[in-house]
Amino acid sequence: MAYSELIKSFEKIRDYMRDFYVYGFKSREDYKKKSARSYDDERRRIESWLGGYMAFRHTAEGKNVFISVDNRSVTFNPLHNAWKAKSFTDKDIVLHFCILDILADGAARSVGEITDGVTDYLSHTETPFEIDESTVRKKLKEYTDLGILQDEKHGRFLYFRLAEDKVDLPSWEDATAFFSEEAPFGVVGSYLLDRQAEAPEHFSYKHHYLLHTLDTQILYDALCAMKEKRCIDIVNFSVRKDEEHEHRVYPLRFYISTQTGREYLLAFHYKFRKPMFFRLDNIRAITPGPVESRHEKYEGFADKFDENLWGVSTGGDYSVDHVELTLHVGDEEGYIIDRLEREKRHGQIEMLDEHTYKFVADVYDAGELLTWARSFIGRVICFESDNKFAVDRFYGDVRRMAEMYRGGEKT
Amino acid sequence: MIFSEIYGSYFKAVSAILTKAVEGNLTERELTRTVLENAFGESLVTIPAKLTDGSWPLLTRNFGTPLTRSPHLPLTTLEKQWLKALLLDPRIQLFAPSEEGLEDVEPLFTQDQIVYYDRYSNGDDFSDSRYIEHFHTIIQAMHEKRKLRVRFHGHRGTRQSYICIPYKLEYSSKDDKFRLITGFRGKPLIVNLSRMDSVHRLDPWDESEYQRPNEREKTLVMDLFDTRNALERVMLHFTDLEKETERIEDKHYRITLNYKQGDETEILIRILSFGPVLKVLEPETMVSQIRDRLERQAAILEQK
Repeated sequence: MAYSELIKSFEKIRDYMRDFYVYGFKSREDYKKKSARSYDDERRRIESWLGGYMAFRHTAEGKNVFISVDNRSVTFNPLHNAWKAKSFTDKDIVLHFCILDILADGAARSVGEITDGVTDYLSHTETPFEIDESTVRKKLKEYTDLGILQDEKHGRFLYFRLAEDKVDLPSWEDATAFFSEEAPFGVVGSYLLDRQAEAPEHFSYKHHYLLHTLDTQILYDALCAMKEKRCIDIVNFSVRKDEEHEHRVYPLRFYISTQTGREYLLAFHYKFRKPMFFRLDNIRAITPGPVESRHEKYEGFADKFDENLWGVSTGGDYSVDHVELTLHVGDEEGYIIDRLEREKRHGQIEMLDEHTYKFVADVYDAGELLTWARSFIGRVICFESDNKFAVDRFYGDVRRMAEMYRGGEKT
Repeated sequence: MIFSEIYGSYFKAVSAILTKAVEGNLTERELTRTVLENAFGESLVTIPAKLTDGSWPLLTRNFGTPLTRSPHLPLTTLEKQWLKALLLDPRIQLFAPSEEGLEDVEPLFTQDQIVYYDRYSNGDDFSDSRYIEHFHTIIQAMHEKRKLRVRFHGHRGTRQSYICIPYKLEYSSKDDKFRLITGFRGKPLIVNLSRMDSVHRLDPWDESEYQRPNEREKTLVMDLFDTRNALERVMLHFTDLEKETERIEDKHYRITLNYKQGDETEILIRILSFGPVLKVLEPETMVSQIRDRLERQAAILEQK
């Protein structure tokens, strides 16, 4: 098939875009699982969509292709462009504009009338462009499902008109620009901005993560099931095992990190009988299952479960680890106490004396607190937990870092 | 359906082309320009050819069209549902859009379905009427290209007052805060909206005055040792910064990233949080700060 910059399936380019954006050091040889032609085509497409954001570097291993973005300077997520590259047939585009024009006066028309209208429009062509009534009917049904058209019965016949649209889009201009970057389904905001002559460029973003847009369809499929109280079948890719697994779960909530951009689905796993997290970027597909009659019971789990979550790890056995982090706070270092207050997600802070503060919490996985505890290196008087592994790792890391920066080799 | 051609760049470009054709303003040059403005890098190879070779018979000879009106696509259900969901977000109070047309629409998602689990808890109060007023004033000044008189209290409580051009409103999802990015006498000035005492719109600024002073950028070089899935964790964590990564050898990578000088402490903390899988090589100021913290840490542990 001839190359086209448009694609039929979004799933195909998710991995490529992720790798080009996240890693940036892979060469053509690193994409061994895919064919060389597939790599060349996808790279070319992404280059066409993202233009100036694609960068190249020649190394001994070959040419590295990567997406280079200074997120703090971008007003609009360039990765949204991938969603605007869906392929279509000649009939799709011709019908789209003809139908919109035929129904533009607001009147309702039958399938036959609309088909006649389309045929009239195309009568100027020298090469025949055949459109039959069933094709038109299918397109009208599709557009009714999308909400562009509304149908109504006139006797035995179905009539169609343009859907009522009273939304004052200009009043949403600034909000759409902001939330297209800062709300779930930001790409929908990007679609709305495309409807305007010019999008406001007033906003910029710090700690701005762009990659999640690639997982929007997964988010949408899970959310649709949540609305209908359905369980879902997930095809999940395990990075550790390098293979796909299927899971039947009941979706509960989404957990989003503002510090890494990672997005997770919290779901009750039927087989393992417990709540589990699935990274959205590892989910390959979601299929809706039957409606769950015990949905209230599972939803109740989510609130209770959250009480001891630090991040998205449940530890090995869902038991709770007790953690205590004691810090030295010097004179005029009140900002350390501020940090503790604003960054803690659970637990309490105790003042032991003027210069000593202790953070205490019970969490599923003390190991998850290590990242936070290490950020206080230089002030940690004590890191204690009944999770011995976490304690050993903390002190082991401090020791190894001291060796590294003293000039010693990393162990 | 999220992935649909009706939202696509090709449909957008053709819609713009047909608008010009309906108005009688389409020429070959306009056609090219419209494709370049609305579609992708290689679209110029496809769209004009399809419109003129009979594949998409939406244009007549001499760049006319059988269509009678400029194409207008009503909002889709998905778009309306997304807007409706925004009405439930506390930050929507800053924008006050019209709710008309969304009365009977189900929100696409609700706030209780999404947990931002590591967001700092001292974010801005988006329901504060004075904060909302300041936000509106700044946005209005940006639309009208006006200067602002901004009065605020600094970190140490000192009162300050500046006349400045508002360049950007910067939001951090982690901090849940807005900051005004501006400048004064050639130097960058960043003011937290929550610290503002008053904001007033002044005269329009002149194009010659619009010279945004950039914060000084610094380059950091660090080695990454890929144990404990560090490669993926670090790469994802630092995707918000412009960076380049090079493979030195198996499980050993070198990362070069750029950051604003004002963010140095934050970057230092982020690097420390990864522990021994990252080793900073440059700049020397960062290396010595890390060394200093490690020495202080060793001293504390020795006292125990």
